[in-house]
Amino acid sequence: MSPILELRTITKEYRGVPAVKNVNFTLNSQEVHALVGENGAGKSTLTKIIAGAVVPTSGEMLLDGRPVAFKVPKDALAAGIAMVYQENSLVPALTVAQNIFLGREQFFNRMRGINIAAQQFLQSLNFGVDPTASVASLGAAQRQMVEIARAVRQKARIIIFDEPTASLTPEEKFHFFGLMTRLKHTGVSIIFISHAIEEAVQHADRITVLRDGGHVLTDGAANLDRNSIIRAMVGRSLSGEIYGARGAARASRQPGRKVLSVQNLSMGSMVRNTSFSVFAGQVTGMFGLIGSGRTETAKIIAGVIKRDMFHGGEIKLDGRPVRYRVPEPAVRDGIVYVTEDRKLEGFFETMSIGDNINIGYMATAGGIFSVVNMAQVRRLAKQWIDAIKVRAINGDAKVIELSGGNQQKVVIAKSLVQNPKLIIFDEPTRGVDVGAIAEIHQFINMLADDGLAVIVISSYLPEIINLSDRILVTRQGRVVEEFTAGQATEERIMYAAVH
Amino acid sequence: MLRGVIDRFVGRGEAAVTVPPMDGALRPNQALERASVAAEVRAPDNLVSYRGDVLFSSGHELRALGSNSVLRSFERPISCVAAAADGRLAVGLLGAEVVLVHPDGSTNLLPLKVTAHATALAFHEDALIVCRGSAQYNPDQWKRDLMEAGVSKPGSGSVVLIPRDSAHRRLADGLRWPYGAVARDGQVIVSESWSHRLLVLDPAGAAPPRPVLSDLPGYPARICASSDGGLWLAVFAPRSQLIEFVLREDGYRRRMLNEIDSDFWIAPTMANGRSFLEPIQGGALKQMGVLKPWAPSRSYGLVIKLNATFEPVVSFHSRTDGTRHGTTSVLEHHERLYVASNGGDVIVCLRADEAVEQ
Repeated sequence: MSPILELRTITKEYRGVPAVKNVNFTLNSQEVHALVGENGAGKSTLTKIIAGAVVPTSGEMLLDGRPVAFKVPKDALAAGIAMVYQENSLVPALTVAQNIFLGREQFFNRMRGINIAAQQFLQSLNFGVDPTASVASLGAAQRQMVEIARAVRQKARIIIFDEPTASLTPEEKFHFFGLMTRLKHTGVSIIFISHAIEEAVQHADRITVLRDGGHVLTDGAANLDRNSIIRAMVGRSLSGEIYGARGAARASRQPGRKVLSVQNLSMGSMVRNTSFSVFAGQVTGMFGLIGSGRTETAKIIAGVIKRDMFHGGEIKLDGRPVRYRVPEPAVRDGIVYVTEDRKLEGFFETMSIGDNINIGYMATAGGIFSVVNMAQVRRLAKQWIDAIKVRAINGDAKVIELSGGNQQKVVIAKSLVQNPKLIIFDEPTRGVDVGAIAEIHQFINMLADDGLAVIVISSYLPEIINLSDRILVTRQGRVVEEFTAGQATEERIMYAAVH
Repeated sequence: MLRGVIDRFVGRGEAAVTVPPMDGALRPNQALERASVAAEVRAPDNLVSYRGDVLFSSGHELRALGSNSVLRSFERPISCVAAAADGRLAVGLLGAEVVLVHPDGSTNLLPLKVTAHATALAFHEDALIVCRGSAQYNPDQWKRDLMEAGVSKPGSGSVVLIPRDSAHRRLADGLRWPYGAVARDGQVIVSESWSHRLLVLDPAGAAPPRPVLSDLPGYPARICASSDGGLWLAVFAPRSQLIEFVLREDGYRRRMLNEIDSDFWIAPTMANGRSFLEPIQGGALKQMGVLKPWAPSRSYGLVIKLNATFEPVVSFHSRTDGTRHGTTSVLEHHERLYVASNGGDVIVCLRADEAVEQ
């Protein structure tokens, strides 16, 4: 059988760093093909290349044996390739029916006609969504249904689903997979990305595993099982070289006093009745797949977002219940959160290193009417540039001029100047070069050695295993497993994260 | 007052139905389930070290573990025991006073007014420390005391120090079921069960009680000293959101206490699974998209080792699927750790320095 879609040695680089490299991929006609891999393995990039949302740096794509090069998603759509994104692409102000017909409106449109057509179409898909409802009023699962319906409505030959079942209930999932089978029988080929390995094994014809942007294996789903897929997902030959084997290098630190106790914390569908403790003098690692509620939990602790108003659980800092509506009182109490999205939330990129660090300092030491002392700003900048080895000419250098690793160090310095007792690092080495990774790790270890309570959230297993004295695994909004450093293996952690 | 109403409405502050997690040093394992059996006996309790042997109580009898014999029998069931270095034994009896047994076998009774409802005893130098769980209820009615107190009602328990030859003095009162006591380094450490914490009391009675370990995930019972300067703490039942919720619902509890047999209350218990009439929650847990029936356990077995600064360092568990529940008493004796499972009708033994395989 000749493939309907073929990718040959596809590579996509961002500023010289490959997101996918030399990946070969084929999709047969009437095939359901699952793409699995860890966070950052390159699944989304690869599918976005197919859907025309990302232009590859090199490589070739063949559709029906003919080379194609999509510049924008509209090109791919015209060629019969539609993608249902994980992030919603619906227009919230429009109704469900309007969204389904968006871009395919006729010259004269009658709302009643659109609503009836949408109603019939949604019913044919077994999706219980009111076509007249505004998308803004829908829950995540119903929005996902509308998104799927829109892709199906476009009569695509190839449909790509990015985590289609993440927000669906079991019954909705059942309907979704039924729909997938029906689409397949009508001649549609499907690529779907999933973290639920069971789904891939059960519903796909073939499975491709990506790791670190590279292709690991493609085989028939019947030839693979859950364990072999997990092994393929996490078996990282380079991990030892980057992070070194932890084993004999360092014994786990003993826990100190309980600094933080999170009890039955809830926030919508993202954080569900989760409980855990954090101890002084230890690095507590937190691993989970995207959507498992790690970042949301950390942000609730730090006052960036609020927990549920009714029965949202409790957070106790040094035994005292705390509830923050904004980060400021959390910072004053000694909780700081080093964001995963430094460009958006971490710093002011057009301001200098010194100014950024001083802003952090002012959060705890300054008041509304405090005067900025420029000599102090320079002193702080110099002190922290030396302490965490920021490579910059001086403290007056703008943050935008620094590399990713040095920018991250500025974010860390901005947090540490607040003299915290609990520091939460969310993806501390994302987009950071290998040299800076080692320095940041060293620094995190130093903080724990100094008696601080440290939480490290990371999607990268070698990082979690290398850094943590204990590892918490989150799934579906709650902590489901705890490993000591001695017990943790990549396979065990991943198994807990997906089952 | 307004804050209290709002808290109750939104479920936060005192009205937050939350339970601290068992993680870190309290991470569950099966150490108590795997431990070897030292004795199989009905409802064992009150392990004490006495003249090179381990004594424990079972019903009316005070028994020696080594010789597996009855040392002494009493007219009433024993509620608490303490042994002094000079060979004296103090034995609290249900519905009666504390009996002091001297090394020569003679006995004398301590005043009922001071020692009634004794839940725990300990010797501090020459003096006897008596924990009185409640002013109304005998130790075997602990469940009723908890259910009547709920989470907010102040306790009626107290701790009294009775010197050998002078008048007694009250070290603390208004406690919510003091259930264990040990003297160490000139301090008296008491477990306050319904408040899930440990308190340090001044034997001179000059300083107010000071909490040193709070927010335990279960109901603490007896305490004993460990050989390395720390403590062993027995925890006889777990806290759960269901029970915490019931403890906040006064009307519901009133009806439950009036209409239902105490064995079937939604309350902590020493052992469960003995009758199909026991309550379960109609709850469910979604795992891999499959909805599974689930009910929280009302009983558990847990022993916690605390270091000199009262931080938990290691713990031994008998989990929901185990049988060695209702661990009311613990004793370190000759590098061995003995644990009395009141609900499991067994005394188990393990190495005190056991590295727990979790």
